[in-house]
Amino acid sequence: MSPEMGHDDVRTALAAEALGALDGDEAEAVRAHLADCAECRSELEELREAAAALAHAAPPAPMDADRSARLRARLVARAAADRAGGAHDANPDAFSTGPALKAVAPPLSVPDDRGGVIPIARARERRGGMGGWLAAAAAVLLLIGVGAYAARMKGRYDALSERYASLDDERTRLVRSVARRDSTLASLSGAGVQVIELASTQRRAPNGRMFWDPATARWTFFAHDMPALKAGRDYQLWLITPAGPVSAGTFRPSPDGGAVVQATYPLPRDQLKAIAVTEEPAGGLPKPSGTPLIVGTYGTTE
Amino acid sequence: MPDTLVPAQADRELVRRMAAGDEAALGALHDRYATLLHSLVIRIVGDPDDAEEVLEETFWQAWRQAGRYEEGRGGLSTWLVMMARSRALDRIRSRRRVREERWEELPEPSYVEAGGSGDVPSPLESAQADEVRRVVASAVARLPPEQRQTVELAYFRGMSQTEIAEATGQPLGTVKTRARLALTKLRDALAVLREDAR
Ligand SMILES: [Zn+2]
Repeated sequence: MSPEMGHDDVRTALAAEALGALDGDEAEAVRAHLADCAECRSELEELREAAAALAHAAPPAPMDADRSARLRARLVARAAADRAGGAHDANPDAFSTGPALKAVAPPLSVPDDRGGVIPIARARERRGGMGGWLAAAAAVLLLIGVGAYAARMKGRYDALSERYASLDDERTRLVRSVARRDSTLASLSGAGVQVIELASTQRRAPNGRMFWDPATARWTFFAHDMPALKAGRDYQLWLITPAGPVSAGTFRPSPDGGAVVQATYPLPRDQLKAIAVTEEPAGGLPKPSGTPLIVGTYGTTE
Repeated sequence: MPDTLVPAQADRELVRRMAAGDEAALGALHDRYATLLHSLVIRIVGDPDDAEEVLEETFWQAWRQAGRYEEGRGGLSTWLVMMARSRALDRIRSRRRVREERWEELPEPSYVEAGGSGDVPSPLESAQADEVRRVVASAVARLPPEQRQTVELAYFRGMSQTEIAEATGQPLGTVKTRARLALTKLRDALAVLREDAR
């Protein structure tokens, strides 16, 4: 791939750029050209919009109502806290004008027809001479002092908010990971869980075991002694149904050849004929292209 | 460049309110776009928990960056979809990198029949959304299978054109041409919507 690309080459590559599918060097070359070519830029915008519209081609899947309500409430609360706490990324000036400063330093904005600091000046004025100037200087110093204090408090508030947010994220992550672990255990040990053994079709002896809980539609697959994969390749797990194979995810084994895959897929009992693992290009394919490395059949017996 | 795939005026107003720090506008943005973004994200990540997190990150990014959003660069839905898709793809990539994390994929069919719950958009909004969906779906359906596959592997699986070439056994140039033909046709189909809405 040449580091420099002409207008025509770039035009051909714009669709891939809009899809985010350009590889490193080519992406760089295209971006370099875009900086100087308005025609390509505007074409890219249109193609990007077309690419974004593909979202409408995904099967409509509204969020679960409870989840959606929780997410909404969380977002609005976070935004309210964010507003109270300070700036948007795009608005670095918000500190000097934002509501947070007003909250920290209300005395300065206490209404006084001649301004909040006048009373100090007046008191000094009675002493005559340089008093007025000193008072003005003092008022300015006071303003600077309060401003600096406000800035410090604001900085601390931001740091604490950030820390709180990250702890909260961490907590959410942990709670979720515990919940997932629990549900894994449940899907392995449930009363109705079906177990399907997968045996090797090759000389080495990779093997697997699939746990299927029809009640929760959860699949947990363990593989052992899987041969190492070349770069750019993944193993892909398939549920074989009369309508054809359905992908249940891709995986790469750990150095000792083991792997765990989980999937959720509701499937009537009589629809499952077999489980298979094939080697495929990284990320998997919609349909298997390789021959199965391990296969497990699922009989009709209960 | 007009953007009227969605009610542009209302979108602009929402972005303006978010940039001004009005958190209610973020709620309204959620109501308007949660279903579209969730449909996209669940198609990519599969897992409902992951999808929820990706959606939260996306809406949060929209809130934080509302002041930077440039109208000229495509519509609000384009902006949101791009953010959501890129976060969703990041998530499956990191899941692929961290081996002890399980790969969870919800195959497509299980969500197709979902419906009736979730956010309830206004009749007008849902009619507009239906119209966009109808136009996009029919444009995608008219694509030759190999063009559709190329675009889907890139868009929903995050595969690069080199990976697609390898996966489909096609020369790189063919993959590029297919992506180009597909997106150009889609763009032309969308032009109808723009004219309708003007
Ligand atoms: Zn050019």
